Amino acid sequence: MSENYPRRRSDISARVVVDETVVLDLGAAQIHQLNATASFIWDRCDGYCTVAAIAEKLTGSFDVDCETARQAVQATLRRLDELGLLDPARE
Amino acid sequence: MTHALVAAAYGEMEGDASTIDLDYTVGRDGADAAFYIARPGRKALTAPDDGTFLALFDEDIAIELQKLRRELYFVHAAVLSRGEAVMLVAKPGGGKSTLTWALLHHGFGFLSDELAPVDLDTLEVHPYPRTLALKREPPGTYPLPRRTVVTSRSLHVRGVLGSVVRAPAALGAVVFLQYNPDASGPTIRRLTSAEAGARLYANALNPLAHAGDGLDGAVRITAAHPCYELVSADLRATCALLARTLETPE
Repeated sequence: MSENYPRRRSDISARVVVDETVVLDLGAAQIHQLNATASFIWDRCDGYCTVAAIAEKLTGSFDVDCETARQAVQATLRRLDELGLLDPARE
Repeated sequence: MTHALVAAAYGEMEGDASTIDLDYTVGRDGADAAFYIARPGRKALTAPDDGTFLALFDEDIAIELQKLRRELYFVHAAVLSRGEAVMLVAKPGGGKSTLTWALLHHGFGFLSDELAPVDLDTLEVHPYPRTLALKREPPGTYPLPRRTVVTSRSLHVRGVLGSVVRAPAALGAVVFLQYNPDASGPTIRRLTSAEAGARLYANALNPLAHAGDGLDGAVRITAAHPCYELVSADLRATCALLARTLETPE
């Protein structure tokens, strides 16, 4: 995963349903459900937003303080990375 | 005997013979009298016993139906009717046929205990009234009729209770079933459309034949209907809980 500019894998399908997301990773034969917070973060993993910027946007959209938002973003990105849903870090 | 087995399993699906979509020849052959399933232009399938024969036949028909009706979204599920269709989705051995059998005692109609072909345009479920097949005897409160056909693998219930629905029915709810014999009682909870969509996709049989690798179809179905996770325990209590929930959805 890119430490600074996380990006979703381009070969993955995702659909937003209400405020959650269903993510299909055909290569890994896995399907995932993201809750509202994870969906918000996932949506901003576009390779252009920094981790700090995502946390800042999360603070603005959800009723959380900066530190809670930062921790939530880091934990979610770590989980998305473990699931293999993010592009590997660019050297 | 072979034809009697086929009649026991598929008799409810008998219809107009003027149109033939799939042409099978079945019988027994050879020194060991193995069962065979033959189709024009294809190597015959063979089975050593009656249960394996029906299982192979089931599998073959399910695959061929998916080829014939590619526009339908096939889900591995039982389908009952109570005004609208209720899809019961479970892993193999998850108790969907047993619960289906029990629900037929409580006024539900029968569409299928195995295959739910959904029309994604109308969100109707097509019937697939192959004979209800149980892997084991249900609890004593729901005994099987004497006409039940017993094979090496399954129990086929001929002449199910209640009505057999023979026309597409509007889908009303999707229920993901999980059997927990250790639970003190059944529980049910509403699922979000996304969680249900992910679960439904995992039970879809031909998702790749549809747009978006089938993800659009799964989401379309679950976003349009209430979806639940039902943990079943005591069968009678499970039936009552499901019936109550369907009558008064949250």
